[in-house]
Amino acid sequence: MTTKPKLRESLTAARRPISITAVVDCVGALASHSVHGHLYLYDTNKAGGSTGFGTEELRTKVRRGDQLLWNVLALECEAFVSIDDIVIDRAVVEPERRTYPGTDVAYWIGTVKRDDILEAPYRIKFRVGTRTEPVTTTLSPALFG
Amino acid sequence: MPQQLAVIVLVDVGNALESRTLDGNTYLFDNMKLQGSENQGTGELVTAISGSYWSDGSQASEQVLNWLPYSLGSIPPTVPRGYEAERARQTDEQALTELDHLAATSGTSGTDAAAELSRIRQSAGRRVKTTRRTRGRLSGQKVLDVTGKVVSDGGTQAHSYPAPVITDIYGQAVDEKVIYPAEYGSPDLVTDGWYWSATVDTSRPGTYAYTMRIQLHQLVEQGGESLWEPVNLTCESKIRVTTEPKRNAFTKAGLGLLPVPPRAFS
Amino acid sequence: MNPKVNIVVVVDVIGALSDGTLLNGNLCMIDDGEQSTGQGTPELCTVVRPGQVVTWSALAVDLQTPVEIKGITFLGADAEDGDADAEATDAGAGAGAGADGRNGQSGQNGRGGRNGHGPERHNPELEVWSGVVPQLAPGVAHQYRLEVQMYEGEHSTLHIASPALMCQ
Repeated sequence: MTTKPKLRESLTAARRPISITAVVDCVGALASHSVHGHLYLYDTNKAGGSTGFGTEELRTKVRRGDQLLWNVLALECEAFVSIDDIVIDRAVVEPERRTYPGTDVAYWIGTVKRDDILEAPYRIKFRVGTRTEPVTTTLSPALFG
Repeated sequence: MPQQLAVIVLVDVGNALESRTLDGNTYLFDNMKLQGSENQGTGELVTAISGSYWSDGSQASEQVLNWLPYSLGSIPPTVPRGYEAERARQTDEQALTELDHLAATSGTSGTDAAAELSRIRQSAGRRVKTTRRTRGRLSGQKVLDVTGKVVSDGGTQAHSYPAPVITDIYGQAVDEKVIYPAEYGSPDLVTDGWYWSATVDTSRPGTYAYTMRIQLHQLVEQGGESLWEPVNLTCESKIRVTTEPKRNAFTKAGLGLLPVPPRAFS
Repeated sequence: MNPKVNIVVVVDVIGALSDGTLLNGNLCMIDDGEQSTGQGTPELCTVVRPGQVVTWSALAVDLQTPVEIKGITFLGADAEDGDADAEATDAGAGAGAGADGRNGQSGQNGRGGRNGHGPERHNPELEVWSGVVPQLAPGVAHQYRLEVQMYEGEHSTLHIASPALMCQ
């Protein structure tokens, strides 16, 4: 049997940014002025060792140079939710807010600066509905090395 | 008219494609937590569907279930519909403008036309080839990365996966005629305004399983061109149907006089 | 005369919870009565006749958020509910005590009926807010307090006291 050159090459080789997605039950959060019990966190680095999927205490496994991208999804498709701020040790990562080109839909992005992260907990501040006051996570998700 | 019931199917597309399974890579949610849905945000969601009937036994309300598939870590569904197509058009226009500018200035000294062309090619990105199998919602679009930038080389650059597509809903709940699923078009005609919806017969309480056939798309390179290769996987979920009699909220029993405090007749 | 009148309470749940009020256009009421006033506002005054069946139902603007009527309590002439304004003054006195009594009772019933069911799951659709119009003093707007629950939580319940039933 001859070894043919691979005709089709799967294009997943590139090192993908790690996306961290917060799913927020907006009505629940608005009815209680808290995201506790109304927040589910996920990332795309399960294979890399992240844990706590679907909880408020997601632990994302990171390495120096990893690009992290935070975004948010509303459980009710017509509700508005956005990330207002990400409060984390700036020596680990400095997330900044950007928008998808041509839209006002925002995401937060940053590059991991260090390799030896034991545990870098952080807080996410959300803007929900038309409420002007942001709602902050009560339990802390974290990055770890 | 009852609340519309929605099931969100959030798929870790990258991981699912790599492991060729939706098990452990699918997270399900619904908006029936108060009615008793269990295991929100996991692959083991049990969706509570609360029916009701009148005193004569007839079904009192029709429950409608909708499914919304999303891709974890991709460009979010909150960007306008047809975002990939729109970005393809925008970046084409930008490239044309830049080419015009390049043509006008290429005679002048200090312009590296080759370098400039290469830069324009990079920012114009790459269109996905249309094939018989990929014709439709993904054809002619460009590959975007997770920040919405066009990708010029799918081989080395990370890209955003298109949203998963439900192609069928079948299994016990359908076989036993508890749910009647079908695909519908939404009033949004721009591109992918299609969704799966089902009415539920709440007259037979019980827990019923159903299976979703979900199509993911993997970017592959063939003969120097990129194309989205469909990958079909399945994922199971459950509904738990309950039904109870309607009751009067004022009397907690049958119909009665409204409790209006008496006032003096003038 | 139509034997039935339907009153629909339409709520922008996200708006109401965000603002913490059912005002600001977050709630509107409509009915299919023939001579009602204030259609499309929280001041709906439904004109009814004794013997007619009135049915209230709630609907979320976006259809996907949970909203239900938690209570409907008719206010007495000198209703203590702070939200009941002006109108309460033009009716005769003496009904106050009775009104308060019913007020509290109906509120308790609402809660007891729900919690008393033990493991039974909450299904707002089971409650039918419906009743027969009794003999009412004509020309008097009988205001009621309408309590709306959106999801659950400390800030999930809001009310208005501006709608009314009136016999001519």
